[in-house]
Amino acid sequence: MTLRLPLMALALASALGSLAGTARAAVAPMDLVGPMSEYKLYVSEKLQTLVADTRAFTDAVKAGDIEKAKALFAPARMSYEAIEPVAELFSDLDVSIDSRADDYEHGEQDPAFPGFHRIEYGLWAQNSAAGLGPVADKLMADVDELGKRIAELTFPPEKVVGGAAALMEEVAATKISGEEDRYSHTDLWDFQGNFDGSRKIFELFRPLVEKDDPAFVEKVEANFATLDKTLSKYKMGDGFETYEKLTDADRKILAGAVNTLAEDLSQLRGKLGLN
Amino acid sequence: MRERDSSGLGATPPTATSRRRILIGLGAAGGALTGGLVTGKAAAAEIESVTNAPISDKTQERQPFYGVRQSGIVTPRPAAGMVASFDVLAKTPADLVRLFQTLTERIAFLTQGGEPPSLDPKLPPSDNGILGPMVTPDNLTITASVGASLFDERFGLKDHKPKRLVQMMSFPNDALEVSLCHGDLSLQFSSNTPDTNIHALRDIVKKLPDLLLLRWKQEGSVPVMAATPGKPPESARNFLGFRDGSANPSPADADLMERIVWVQPDGDEPGWATHGSYQAVRIIRNFVERWDRTPLQEQQAIIGRHKATGAPMQGGSEHDVPDYASDPEGKTTPLDAHIRLANPRTHGSQANLILRRPFNYSNGVTKSGHLDQGLLFIAYQSDLEKGFITVQKRLAGEPLEEYIKPIGGGFFFTLPGAADERDFLGRSLLEAAGIAQPAN
Repeated sequence: MTLRLPLMALALASALGSLAGTARAAVAPMDLVGPMSEYKLYVSEKLQTLVADTRAFTDAVKAGDIEKAKALFAPARMSYEAIEPVAELFSDLDVSIDSRADDYEHGEQDPAFPGFHRIEYGLWAQNSAAGLGPVADKLMADVDELGKRIAELTFPPEKVVGGAAALMEEVAATKISGEEDRYSHTDLWDFQGNFDGSRKIFELFRPLVEKDDPAFVEKVEANFATLDKTLSKYKMGDGFETYEKLTDADRKILAGAVNTLAEDLSQLRGKLGLN
Repeated sequence: MRERDSSGLGATPPTATSRRRILIGLGAAGGALTGGLVTGKAAAAEIESVTNAPISDKTQERQPFYGVRQSGIVTPRPAAGMVASFDVLAKTPADLVRLFQTLTERIAFLTQGGEPPSLDPKLPPSDNGILGPMVTPDNLTITASVGASLFDERFGLKDHKPKRLVQMMSFPNDALEVSLCHGDLSLQFSSNTPDTNIHALRDIVKKLPDLLLLRWKQEGSVPVMAATPGKPPESARNFLGFRDGSANPSPADADLMERIVWVQPDGDEPGWATHGSYQAVRIIRNFVERWDRTPLQEQQAIIGRHKATGAPMQGGSEHDVPDYASDPEGKTTPLDAHIRLANPRTHGSQANLILRRPFNYSNGVTKSGHLDQGLLFIAYQSDLEKGFITVQKRLAGEPLEEYIKPIGGGFFFTLPGAADERDFLGRSLLEAAGIAQPAN
């Protein structure tokens, strides 16, 4: 753990060094080192949880234990949703882990339709785990591979900082309407993961922005608080109610806060002098 | 004309030499002759490209924004329009004031044109750039209207609702899709080109993510015509091929406008609503394939006018008044013709005139492989009951119903204008409700 930090710092400094000639940075490159390494730790923790949860989930699927698999589906996804911007750096894995039926010409019937949502379709729409063994195996292999690749990756700072906005953009454009988990309606779990992931990034870089623009920080924090407060109305046990319980009024509150966060967080890279 | 690329590496952009050749009209063989013909003008010669922007001489056309009444109602209708409907996300009265003030600022800028602020390139640009680095007005008006839902328990506006403002009801031929109906706020955009409207909508959406959420929108257009000097202007045609707007009340008749369009101070509407109007928006699908298979005679009998000229069935010109008095049994103009039902031209029906300002829309393809096209109907009136609602009720059962299907829209109240830079749209309403302080 302690060895990794100086190596990361070196890698980061050399990555930033190439930016020095292009424009003046609003923060010193070394100021980014702390938040970046904290974020890398956060991602490793999430990945560990993701690997463990996916193993339990895929084991249940292969054992044909439909009820258990259903119970483990949404919690497993939360870790993925929290680190999605990093996962999307590996677009091939993101596709095979998290793509939707819409992405395939023959939709749910397409033999190429993979990952979490293919299994979701089997468990909820067909109430069956039949034929899902290979899909589950592939999902586990992909999640393991994701873990390996992320461990070896030097995160580009602009991708990390930009990831806060990217998470909000995804929710705003493609998730708020309940399209993501359309068979299980476990979208509220996904939202919590996305909101947590975005907020984590913001919190890590917040001290660098706060002195120059406290009003900005206050506004962003207020919107994150609105998201938490609204979503927490739907908490049930360790998780959440079905998306279908989300009232129109609350959906609009979430949409407003998510769109505003997407707008405000899109300023973050610029405020930090990143490209 | 391109230089022949002998290197085989692919086409290269025209060089100064080849541009000169284009200007002079010489082929590649003329190279030796052009050496001595260098002029300053050659470098500026037109570069042929299929993607050069089409030229318009109307981008600087401008409509006033400030005024006692909003623009976009009696303003002549240009070629491109859009209605966008929104949910208002404001949570506090202060938010509501901020919404209307920001909206007013944006509309003032967009309709007058100008240079948007230039930001550090590391930040997202302040303007979407569709119209280029300078925003051109292009005859844009943006008209703001509020729905009945805004007068619910959220902002304490209940007691200030315009008397006749209700959520749009369903009429017998309707097949309303909830996702295409109603809204707290409607914005009507109209300008010379769709891009100007789109530029403006995107600007407003970007500036107000915490206060506005789009519900639905419908864009539309009307066909342009060559100028016909010496002849009276014609109403633009709709997608049934008929002129749409014959007998539309004329803004040149100021008394008529005062009576049928603008809410007056001496009526039973709340004081703040003076200089506003009621807006009825209807998204009306046209079954165009079936219409196009209908004999011309029948089309004309259904509508009640000649298709080519827009003249009433008795003949004459588009602007002649139909003569129903001498046709009590409808042998010339059928009793159930669209125009005759809409306005039977009795003494009483003078109270039910409306000002129409529609656009034609063309969306996609239905599941049945038919065209999703129709009319974005927009009408203004000082009394929603006496105006659109009465007229629509008269049309129940008309033969035209075989060919049309209303699927969306809403009823709104168009706010009075913003008088000057210190004023803002909605101020009179918010003051009446005690939310905004009167400007001194």
